[in-house]
Amino acid sequence: MSDEASGGADRRKSRYQFDRHTSDYRDHFEAITAEMLAQCPLAWSDTYGGHWVAAGHREVFELARSAEYLSNDHDVHYERRGYQGITIPTPESMKFQAGFLEMDPPEQRYYRQALNPYLSPAAVARWAPVVTELTRACLDEKIETGQIDFVDDLANVVPAIMTLAMMGIPLAHWTIYCEPTHATVYTPPDSPDMLRLRDRQIEMYRDMFAQLTAIKEQPRPGLIDALARADINGRTPQDMELLGVMALIIGGGFDTTTALTAHALEWLGEHPDQRERLSRERASLLDSATEEFLRFYTPAPGDGRTISADCEIAGQRFQEGERLWLSWAMSNRDPAVFENPNQIDLARTGNRHHSFGLGIHRCIGSNVARMVFKQMIAAVLDRMPDYRCDPAGTVHYETIGVIQGMRHLPAAFTPGPRLGAGLDETIKAIQRACDEQRLAEPVTVRQAEAEIGR
Amino acid sequence: MKVRVDPERCQGHTLCAMIAPGMFELDDFDGHSSPVDENVPAEHEAQVIQAVRSCPEQAISVTEGLA
Repeated sequence: MSDEASGGADRRKSRYQFDRHTSDYRDHFEAITAEMLAQCPLAWSDTYGGHWVAAGHREVFELARSAEYLSNDHDVHYERRGYQGITIPTPESMKFQAGFLEMDPPEQRYYRQALNPYLSPAAVARWAPVVTELTRACLDEKIETGQIDFVDDLANVVPAIMTLAMMGIPLAHWTIYCEPTHATVYTPPDSPDMLRLRDRQIEMYRDMFAQLTAIKEQPRPGLIDALARADINGRTPQDMELLGVMALIIGGGFDTTTALTAHALEWLGEHPDQRERLSRERASLLDSATEEFLRFYTPAPGDGRTISADCEIAGQRFQEGERLWLSWAMSNRDPAVFENPNQIDLARTGNRHHSFGLGIHRCIGSNVARMVFKQMIAAVLDRMPDYRCDPAGTVHYETIGVIQGMRHLPAAFTPGPRLGAGLDETIKAIQRACDEQRLAEPVTVRQAEAEIGR
Repeated sequence: MKVRVDPERCQGHTLCAMIAPGMFELDDFDGHSSPVDENVPAEHEAQVIQAVRSCPEQAISVTEGLA
């Protein structure tokens, strides 16, 4: 079909060359966002085979909630309509379905129903003492030296170990998972480090498969057990499909909270008056500040979709098969909804940000993310209140197409006393608690809060 | 003032319970919200209106009426 016959006129009305994978997009994010919001909140871009880009808050809202016309399906074996999932462009090297985030209902709903009792607000609240202990141990490792890298020594560590604990993976394996998961996001495909990284990824997938196999043979509580036992619309999923779900949980659980925490700590270091205010007024301010950091830094900046039927949404006609990028990050800067959208206001109200997505695919780990973030920030405010970040050593991701993250955030602070055991010993204590108290059971089985002995 | 959460629109973001504690309860299994009481006490009306303004799914609505 010619471009003209297949909706070319619609596309020409609002053309914009959009490429979120360039460093130019990262460097000029606010200017590009302002331009798109003002001129084409719903644009057609010729990049990556051509796709729609939704930047406006209203447009993203209406589109993301139109599940009947949007598909997340990643049809890796060409069994359905060959849709390409949520990544634009589709990675050449990886023909792998990203769990239920690349599925449509009803399968997607069965998966979420299986995992919700592990990730609901009530389920996540039980883990609070575990996060407190992990955070304390990470800070204790550095507190006497007066030097810390907030990414390497804190924000990379706590979300990773917490995610493994909820999955039912032995915590001592966290080093198998941590580095490759982060490095996969920030390493360009042509990097000389790619070969080494591939080996680390293979090692990680091997361990994931070993965990799945072991848990099938001898059940132990956690998200993997829920997956192994799941009835997905009357069928038992194959191992490859379950590995995709496990990879989704790991990817969603690790790098996103890391990115949010690092950016928030960097900003608070640059604004010591606001840091002091947040510390002093945290009972009333930490909730709204968390939502504001989520809005402003949007760790996962967007999601791809495929139009699954001809339709008209937000005043725009779409054709079946067209690709669409929903930009949570740009919609979070829409001045129609957010006053002074490019400024951080820790007390902002009416903060209807899109950082956990919208509609049926709302981030299933959002309750974990908020709790882990708040605990890490509060602990740093308590124990390193005068930290100063070192801009020369700070490294942001080169591009923000996948995750708006940071690789390093070194800081100096006035040293203080340790409060307890180091990280390795603390991990062992938490592992004992996981095993003895069966912490990773769903909230339907276990309601009590974790108890961690030191 | 009366408050309602549309169960079809709510996706369990939990912001309402964070902003207006005591006015909304979250399901233990999936975090979806419902009002503790559809009649909002006068002293909590401002909080509930903030929750309406903050809901990412725009799932909460209020109507004027006797509490």
